[in-house]
Amino acid sequence: MNQSFVLPNSGHTFDPKSSKLGMWLFLYTEILLFGGLFLVYMVYRSLNPDAFLLASFKLNVWMGTVNTIILLTSSMTVAMSITALQKGDKKMAMNLLWLTLLAALAFLVIKYFEWGAKFEHGYFPGMDHYDAMPVGEKLYFYLYFFMTGLHGLHVIVGGIFIWVVIAKIKSGKVHKDRISLHENAGLYWHLVDLIWIYLFPLFYLIH
Amino acid sequence: MEENKNKNNEHQEHISSYKEHFGTWSALILLTLMTVLVSVFGADLRTLSVATAMIIATVKVLAVGYYFMHLKYEPKIYRTLIIIVMALFVFFLVMVILDYLTR
Repeated sequence: MNQSFVLPNSGHTFDPKSSKLGMWLFLYTEILLFGGLFLVYMVYRSLNPDAFLLASFKLNVWMGTVNTIILLTSSMTVAMSITALQKGDKKMAMNLLWLTLLAALAFLVIKYFEWGAKFEHGYFPGMDHYDAMPVGEKLYFYLYFFMTGLHGLHVIVGGIFIWVVIAKIKSGKVHKDRISLHENAGLYWHLVDLIWIYLFPLFYLIH
Repeated sequence: MEENKNKNNEHQEHISSYKEHFGTWSALILLTLMTVLVSVFGADLRTLSVATAMIIATVKVLAVGYYFMHLKYEPKIYRTLIIIVMALFVFFLVMVILDYLTR
């Protein structure tokens, strides 16, 4: 009986299971990061319910709704692109990732106009309108800019991540049997979507 | 050896279909429109609509996690870890609420 025994992972440095678990561990820390901010939001909103209501009327619900739909759609395209690459359809996978990237860009452009309108009205902390607001509305706008700003930063990072994956699929470094990087980019993008799912009703839909 | 190989193959990645992803997306869009409508046209139900919005958001998050993030097809460890993280968050939440209620 000549039994051969191969050490796990000998001879190569590719370990999809650990790679995915590592990504998830990072996502857990992200959940707690935003979780802390949601706790701050909860405390200040419960202390200033009417001010938060009034301040939320200054946001554009329809822009927020469109952005939500854009992010949900981009989450679908990135999930589909993983399906495509797993099936070996490289071209389809890349096209779907480009669509995701386009959605990320559209999200940021809409966000730019939204923030731009707030700046014009002077609602940013330190501007004249902001200083004249009651304390509850100040807290609302402080949290609005901080939380959507941090989320916007995640959109930018996620977009760069997806762009790197597109380049690696093109050069053949990411393919059917080495899909970890692609999957991890997808997971990160879904997290960006998850956070927005909570941000949207909490800031836009207080009615 | 052969048996071992088969065992390994059983744990191969599940490939979700396009149809499944599209179905999840449709449900997510439907829930989004529902929250917006409840919020915009349900102004009299103010306290109710906060709870409703949070419940709908949580259903959406579960759908994204389960289907888009493949949690449904991953080994149990991922779901266990999520439950631990959520328990930790709920613990923080309860501590903060207790803090503010007892001031």
